[in-house]
Amino acid sequence: MKRRPYGPEAWLVDDVDAPAAWASALGDMDIPGVVEIVPAEGTVVVRCTRERHDAVGEVLELVVPRTAGHDTDAPLTIDVVYDGPDIVDIADAASVSIDDVIRLHATGSYHVAFCGFSPGFAYLRGIDRRLHVPRRATPRASVPAGSIGVAAGYTCVYPSGSPGGWHLIGHTTASLWDVDRDPPALLQPGRAVRFRRAP
Amino acid sequence: MPEGPALRIVQVGFATTVQDHGRPGLAHLGVPTAGAVDRRTHDLVNRLVGNPAGAATIETMGALVVEALRPVVVATSTDGGRQTLAAGARVRVDAPAGSIWGYLAVRGGIEADPVLGSRSHDTLGGVGPPPLTADTLLRIGADPVTELVADHAPPRHVPDPWVRLWDGPQHDWFIGGLHCLTRRPWTLTNELSRVGVRLETGEFPRSTRSQPQMSSIGLIAGAIQITPAGEPILMLANHPTTGGYPVIAVVDPDDLPSLVQSRPGSSIRFRRA
Repeated sequence: MKRRPYGPEAWLVDDVDAPAAWASALGDMDIPGVVEIVPAEGTVVVRCTRERHDAVGEVLELVVPRTAGHDTDAPLTIDVVYDGPDIVDIADAASVSIDDVIRLHATGSYHVAFCGFSPGFAYLRGIDRRLHVPRRATPRASVPAGSIGVAAGYTCVYPSGSPGGWHLIGHTTASLWDVDRDPPALLQPGRAVRFRRAP
Repeated sequence: MPEGPALRIVQVGFATTVQDHGRPGLAHLGVPTAGAVDRRTHDLVNRLVGNPAGAATIETMGALVVEALRPVVVATSTDGGRQTLAAGARVRVDAPAGSIWGYLAVRGGIEADPVLGSRSHDTLGGVGPPPLTADTLLRIGADPVTELVADHAPPRHVPDPWVRLWDGPQHDWFIGGLHCLTRRPWTLTNELSRVGVRLETGEFPRSTRSQPQMSSIGLIAGAIQITPAGEPILMLANHPTTGGYPVIAVVDPDDLPSLVQSRPGSSIRFRRA
């Protein structure tokens, strides 16, 4: 990892193998002055107080993440109806059948690399290489909550209705985002996830 | 204390919302911090009415008119003063000359159901109370039982022409680094919201990379991102939690409150912190 100052009240930690695990290990250290820890794609941003900026920076060198980014809890299973409007396009792009797309997606082991884009939106790593596709050329103005998307080497579940540029392959009735639940996001950084074809 | 609503919204501006100190600590779940764009002025009007700094106020861009439904003590950033409104009396909240975000505090704080610990309307994720509209009725919280100390505290409306910058994590992606931003004045455009504001000058920072590709990183208020078109965007209080454009610089947090109050079209100068 490399750390770089990000103004007088934050650090950017770069080249992190497992950002969610790294962020959680830093959180467990309970360092005075740390305000917020935000894992993203191979990076972690650590916000802190101005007075503690140098001291927090030094501590960042000492963070030892536990295992490779996966949590120790049993994977959460999400039931999916594979009826998304883009599933044919994905099958064509991968030169496989629709049943193969479903099988590849539903047999993968995933974990939440990080959250972003909208509250509770988790970027899930672990998707089969054959399902690696870029985002749609034209994003949809409106994607319903519960839609299962694939794009850019990740899969996702839209936690709430929003615009969206991912290819949609199915939907779930699971509640991904609920402000009355603690934590409100079903999928948090590091969480292990599996998808299952709904009966 | 009397029950029921204490305030009625008569007229709203372009962006009129309930704000407080937001939801820090939830960015890892994709929840923006949000909260008042100009926290200094938000805190100041709260102080004038004896509220704790984090009590909810109304933030407005564009003129807001509020009517009291029963006697209430209010303070606005318009004149930086406190007054008691009788039932039926109205107060107009506008950003004073030279600034853009106005605030109204009422003794007891705006009462709305907190979501994830805050009453801030999150412009991006829609978390928290919805934007205010005409005829919205608002409840207020219990009297804070504090002494009123400050009587008058005109907010500082003269924008500081010099804004201090720190190196952003990708400053070395641009030819000249911070010098791209410090060597000439910049103009704030009217592409402005609670999320961010675009800056403009005759010339764009040039990347040292032919195809800048970067991983998304956590964003912070005050970060200046450079878009693929070479345009700087300054992130404000309601910035997204992560972003994929290089961050060339970070505005010193002490200089941010006066910068965010600068009106579109005003000229600003950056210097290295």
